[in-house]
Amino acid sequence: MIDLKKLTDEQVADYVRTKDQESYLEIVLRYQSKLMRYANSLTHDETKAADIVQNSFIKAFVNLNSFNTKMKFSSWIYRIVHNEAMNEVIKHKNEMPILEGVDFASDEDIVANLTKKEAQERVKKCLSKIPLLYSEPLSLFFLEEKSYDEISDILRLPIGTVGTRIRRAKILMKKIC
Amino acid sequence: MLNNTKLNLRENIMSQIKKGQVKMRSKWYFVLGSLAMIGGFLSLTIVSIFLVSLITFSLRTHGPIGAIRCERLLSSFPWWALIGTGVGFLISVWMLGKYDFSYKKNFSMIIISFVLAVLLAGWLISYLGLDNAWMKRGQMKGLYQQYDGGKMMRGPSWRLMQDGDYNKKDFPSILRR
Repeated sequence: MIDLKKLTDEQVADYVRTKDQESYLEIVLRYQSKLMRYANSLTHDETKAADIVQNSFIKAFVNLNSFNTKMKFSSWIYRIVHNEAMNEVIKHKNEMPILEGVDFASDEDIVANLTKKEAQERVKKCLSKIPLLYSEPLSLFFLEEKSYDEISDILRLPIGTVGTRIRRAKILMKKIC
Repeated sequence: MLNNTKLNLRENIMSQIKKGQVKMRSKWYFVLGSLAMIGGFLSLTIVSIFLVSLITFSLRTHGPIGAIRCERLLSSFPWWALIGTGVGFLISVWMLGKYDFSYKKNFSMIIISFVLAVLLAGWLISYLGLDNAWMKRGQMKGLYQQYDGGKMMRGPSWRLMQDGDYNKKDFPSILRR
């Protein structure tokens, strides 16, 4: 009996699709908390977030054979959650904060002098007040601890755009929160 | 609350998998999908090149644009080919956007390069005289002859028209219209 805990995400995904589909539980266990937190940061509603994550896990399972094991599994499944959440957000777009009367003149990095924990706390408090365009990369960077490269894969944006959005999100945090 | 949500989530997902309510799509589904996408993209590109070549051919055979020629060009121009090329470009760009490289590279440059490559290929067909060969023989003979703007200026019909003998019996009826 193989010890799934010792396998990487990509190896588990490969095992699920070639050997034992019920081993998908391991993927669910590894990702449910992270994906719930991520979906929550996008919707600010735990019930909606739970629906999004459940649908995402189902879609990931159905389409597991399209996953390229040379890529990062985490980026792939976060991308599915992103798509599901965006569908939900578009349905309720009037409820999302809008970008009004804010400029990006300052280059000051307001979180540079904070510890990681303090920065995460500040980001958590601010997320619901910042437009999704900026809050999503900020959440992925500080709360999910993804690299720019991974964020680029999840949001399908050039790395330069990811950097610009995170920098602007920090400026917005300073002005709004 | 959160722990209950996680537990429900896990149970819902795994029970659907165990009961076979959700099924993993086979690898072939995605392989065929990719092949269809590549085939569609290549077909559209080839059709776009062909339509550009037809437009170039029509423009070239009408000769330098004067007032009379311009009017004739506008009335016999293959507008459907122009619209078809535009639609082909739009669908091809949409297809290009589906691939991973689209956000990792400068997508605007990819689109510009693609459009220029198609235009260049269409022009090359005209430059190498392939369209003249296709007008004389092959499947596209009728189509190219239909949009040949110079056909009136060749042969006896054009000389008859220059002399003003429009009603002579040997003047083809199509040219008297």
